[in-house]
Amino acid sequence: MKPLRLWPQRLVGQVTLVLMLAVALEFVGSSILFENSRIYPNRDNQVRRAAEQLVVAEAILEAQPQHDRAARAAGLAARPGEMGWTALPTLVDRERAAERKLKDQFREAEPSLARRDLRMNAEIDRALPRDTHLKVALKMRDGSWVWMKTRIRAAPWAVVLSSFGSAFILGLGVIAAAALVLRNLSRPLRALAEAADKVGQGARIRVAETGAGDLKLVAKAFNAMQDRIAGLLQTRTEALAAVGHDLRTPLARLSLRAGFVQDPAAREALEADVNEMTAMLDSLLAYLGGQEDPEPPRRTDIAAIAMTLVDDAVDAERDAAYDGPEHLPVHARPLSLKRAISNLVENALHYGGQARLSLVRDGRTVILAVEDDGPGIPDAELAHVLEPFHRLDSARARNTAGLGLGLTIVQQILKREGGELVLKNRPEGGLRAEVRLAAL
Amino acid sequence: MIALQREIAAAPVAPVVLIVEDDPALRTLLMRLLREEGFQPLSAAHGAEMARVLETNSVDIILLDVMLPGSNGFDLCRSVRRESDVPIVMLSARDDETDRLIGLELGADDYIGKPFSQKELIARIRAILRRAQGATQSSQPRGHQQMVFAGWNLDPGRRELLSPDGAFVDLSGAEFDLLLAFLSSPQRVIGRERLLEMSRARISDASDRSIDVLVSRLRRKLAVSGQAEALLRTVRGVGYIFTAAVERR
Repeated sequence: MKPLRLWPQRLVGQVTLVLMLAVALEFVGSSILFENSRIYPNRDNQVRRAAEQLVVAEAILEAQPQHDRAARAAGLAARPGEMGWTALPTLVDRERAAERKLKDQFREAEPSLARRDLRMNAEIDRALPRDTHLKVALKMRDGSWVWMKTRIRAAPWAVVLSSFGSAFILGLGVIAAAALVLRNLSRPLRALAEAADKVGQGARIRVAETGAGDLKLVAKAFNAMQDRIAGLLQTRTEALAAVGHDLRTPLARLSLRAGFVQDPAAREALEADVNEMTAMLDSLLAYLGGQEDPEPPRRTDIAAIAMTLVDDAVDAERDAAYDGPEHLPVHARPLSLKRAISNLVENALHYGGQARLSLVRDGRTVILAVEDDGPGIPDAELAHVLEPFHRLDSARARNTAGLGLGLTIVQQILKREGGELVLKNRPEGGLRAEVRLAAL
Repeated sequence: MIALQREIAAAPVAPVVLIVEDDPALRTLLMRLLREEGFQPLSAAHGAEMARVLETNSVDIILLDVMLPGSNGFDLCRSVRRESDVPIVMLSARDDETDRLIGLELGADDYIGKPFSQKELIARIRAILRRAQGATQSSQPRGHQQMVFAGWNLDPGRRELLSPDGAFVDLSGAEFDLLLAFLSSPQRVIGRERLLEMSRARISDASDRSIDVLVSRLRRKLAVSGQAEALLRTVRGVGYIFTAAVERR
């Protein structure tokens, strides 16, 4: 869209223009309103005019012969009112306060009505603006009646506008208009702030390069910055992953060499070291490569995975147990899911000394819980243990084989499967880690 | 271990193992290990060398590194498969599931991620040689046929088991090998010792009892509304029988 050339490109220009427009609008608006307020007479004036009309009509009709009077009277009516002449009275005076007050006003306006027979019927609208529908009849000197129907406008808005209120409402209008325009100006800024917020959480957001010239520049710079950061991260990740892969060959050599060591104690220690390094590399590569896992999600038996992991732990003479159904399908990437559950089991065995797995289906959710009797996680740490490379205090982390990525990977994997990881300290002591996935 | 050594001593000739690996030190180590374990190792640093070795030697098994200079291990695996059925074990620095699947689908017989221990490597090589031998003896066609039984579907190539409702059922390596052993002799009584031998590669503590544990685990994973007992029946004092018919597709 090519905006009008008159529209300034810079933020300063746009704000100035908006303010100028607001002032101009206020000026034009108030002069129109004050002009209008003079057109709308107030109530007293209307009553006075009605009295005047009645008196004038009587004077005119008096000069007419009786058979001409009805037609003549109709012609005298001032729109939107009506006027007429009858030989006999047609109106009954209601004699209420409203009628008495109007009669007084009529007589005050036209002193000639002072001792005349004046009948009135004033109906005030229930609805706003509460106009008065007035019927009034005057007995002429020959005993016949001239009557008129008219409406006395309450016209409150004209009254309000004519005074302080007009400026007030206009001011509000101008402020609202200016706010709308300024909001339009600030929208790109808000979008930028929102994008910056999301970028911090790892997403990549393209900010629309619109708005004032300065804002467009900011958006452009922001997008370029994001590209640079993403590129940088990508390079670092690839480099780290490449190093990880390259380390496997020397590790393989080391592992084979360990097998040739004659001293059994030294050999076992060497093998344990190699295994630990391998575990670290595996978790690092799983963390780095997690986003680009090409494995497709499929119908997967989560119960079988839990059983395999528990059986493996039992074979390694660890304290592990499984309680749950023999089959429970979910939709997930089987190897990722196995890695996630395996990390939880490893954690439980490592920190708690045992891992009790239980699998239940709770409505639309499948919950696989891994429980231990270990020290749990201090409540203050619960939120942090999911951060990458975070480890619990040194006393507990001394024997850790990993890099502090275990739970991070679990969360990463479950998020991708549309599930979640819930960590709770059990009231009886120990940690309860729940894998929650949608049931099929 | 005693049983293994006896078996090798009885073998007429040491199996020939071709190592295709570009890292010289690793190559040397593998040569040494295989020689010590009673194999006859040959080595090649890249594809061209491998082709030369294959032209002049009869090879029983190839250990093939994935990341090689020039044409990589997958390409080499494919080209070897066009000409022969010689067992291939892929060695990879990428312990990555896609790599594993690509390797197995290209016709490799096993896939080992680096690093691996001596024991693990030797056990896998022996298992594959034994399987290859068994296959030629019973003249069963090798390759990646699906095995279907009682609604279940086992893909030996991808090492995958799918339940009757199509869910992927995770099996441990030992469970898989045991199931494969049952499926290759269905509806026949198999003794515990024979089962042990057929799936020995994966069982660290090889005893009759471990076979019983493994069978009970397998039963649990194959349990579908009471069907399990019937699939794997115990033959008292002898072993087990796999009762369902197996169809290969």
